[in-house]
Amino acid sequence: MRRILVVAMAVVLPLVAGGCGEKPTVTVYKQGKYQGKPDTQPWDNERFKGDKVAWEKAVKARNLGQNEYERVIAH
Amino acid sequence: MHGNLALRWVAWLSIALVAMLLPRFALAAEGSAQQQAERQIVQPLNNAPLWRDVRKGENPYQTTQVRGIETNVLVQTEGQIWREIRNGPVTVYGGYLLVLAALAILGYYLWKGPIKVHGQLTGRKIRRLSPWDRTIHWTVGISWLIMALSGLVMLFGKYFALPVLGYTLFSWLAILSKNLHNFVGPVFLIAAALMFITYLARNMPAAHDIRWLLKGGGMLTGEHVPSGFFNAGEKVVFWLGLFLFTIVVGASGLVQLFPNFDQGRVVMQYSNVIHAVTAVVYIAMMLGHIYLGTVGVEGAYDAMRYDGMVDEAWAKEHHEYWYNEVKGQSTAAGGAASPARAAAMKEGWKL
Amino acid sequence: MARMKFLADAERCIECNGCVTACKQEHEIPWGVNRRRVVTLNDGTPGEKSISVACMHCSDAPCMAVCPVDVFYKTSEGIVLHDKDLCIGCGYCFYACPFGAPQFPQDGAFGLRGKMDKCTFCAGGPEPDFSDAEFKKYGRNRIAEGKLPACAEMCSTKALLGGDGDVIADIYRRRVTTRGKGSEVWGWGTAYGRPEKPPAQPGAKS
Repeated sequence: MRRILVVAMAVVLPLVAGGCGEKPTVTVYKQGKYQGKPDTQPWDNERFKGDKVAWEKAVKARNLGQNEYERVIAH
Repeated sequence: MHGNLALRWVAWLSIALVAMLLPRFALAAEGSAQQQAERQIVQPLNNAPLWRDVRKGENPYQTTQVRGIETNVLVQTEGQIWREIRNGPVTVYGGYLLVLAALAILGYYLWKGPIKVHGQLTGRKIRRLSPWDRTIHWTVGISWLIMALSGLVMLFGKYFALPVLGYTLFSWLAILSKNLHNFVGPVFLIAAALMFITYLARNMPAAHDIRWLLKGGGMLTGEHVPSGFFNAGEKVVFWLGLFLFTIVVGASGLVQLFPNFDQGRVVMQYSNVIHAVTAVVYIAMMLGHIYLGTVGVEGAYDAMRYDGMVDEAWAKEHHEYWYNEVKGQSTAAGGAASPARAAAMKEGWKL
Repeated sequence: MARMKFLADAERCIECNGCVTACKQEHEIPWGVNRRRVVTLNDGTPGEKSISVACMHCSDAPCMAVCPVDVFYKTSEGIVLHDKDLCIGCGYCFYACPFGAPQFPQDGAFGLRGKMDKCTFCAGGPEPDFSDAEFKKYGRNRIAEGKLPACAEMCSTKALLGGDGDVIADIYRRRVTTRGKGSEVWGWGTAYGRPEKPPAQPGAKS
């Protein structure tokens, strides 16, 4: 009984001690995952076929399209 | 570099905003609509009164077409404060408290070991707990354990169980915990209320309880301190735990369990902090009770677990006043026991 | 890499609720869930202002910090997304969020919360891009289509801008200098005032 208790405590205490502090949410995109959740980069699909530059161009065009000064004057 | 420019721009805007807001900060929220209306005439495009309202989130003329709780509030700054309190002191010091409580118990166990009955067991049993006493104790006990474990998973699980189990498995555990917490909670509260009524008469404070508390129940010295049906330690658990903590934890829990009554987020945040702090202290205290009720005091667990009967020797050792009462004697002989016998006796401090 | 942001111009918003409608329509959002809403201040008096608000995809998101099961993740565009499969429906993200973004379909006794739903910046979720599962849980993935959020793109007065924070800040700056006043960028201090967490991907240009 005594030994079981000691062993149980030895297992539980480090786990409990691990609970001290805010867990850093620092992880980066690697191998198809963000912070451990599977998700692909927005250009990794059948639409852009991994062409990051094409995706960035498409988004940039849409982005600048929101500028009505440019839209009205330049185009 | 581009990012820096944007940042500087934002900073400049913030400074301008603060400069605009500062002189007007002292004004009351009432009449802010009127102020804004007047400002529009004097200085078109100056929206200082409006932005003050946005920050405060208290404008009575703030409306939206979306139905829901506080949907007309644009910014609630309390959430960030709650996050810092919950993820900071509550988690950190709560964790320390539980670890230290467990360590203290472990240390006591290694130092003193279980408290045994000294002298021969008589073999004569007396009834201590009725079947109802035991049923209600275990209903509360088991539901309390479920609440404690599921609550710990939700407060600390992210830090110690998530890295071990991984996201999917831990999510299942957390979903199970949350649902158990939600549905066992009311069961626990009802059972605790019944247990309170059941055990109330036996937990009325008496004069000898103070003596017992001053001597720490003889837990450290090994001195024999007589007590009634429940000793002062058990009474502390009853009044502080079963009574006070249960009410606090129960009330703050129900506020969060029923979001149906349109209580705002601030009420929820307060409830959450009160709930977590009380629950951690409650758990730390009950660790002591669980220890003394199982391995800490020989014979204590069997009485509650199996038949409610205790040996006469056990009763005399741990609850002498009660033993004398049962035996029909009016006064205790404990204080007058012979020195040899007193030294041999170790009073169990059953918390 | 672009850091995606929303910018709501109170000077321009006419409270048409077009962004709200666009969002609901684009993602086929169930009744009772409102990823975006328009708040009007001092309705009916001169100088009334309206602001469109949804998840701002904060730099140091409180929802991420308080989530007991860590459902949130942030893409390299700074978009805060979540995995609904992991969500336990505790509501903590709703307590913490400054903007009231997290939504819970109430689908049970006791006001039991369902899986949290919120604005995804039209970037879907962890499921494969354009899959049925992704659409059902998170709505359309316009970002993977090379588009920007529907609410911002269809805003008739361009009061709501969405996209690369630097670009929309430039657009807004030009607007402010042109009209002279109304420079308040609402919510940016709260949303983007703190350092990015998690930090931007190493090697990515900022």
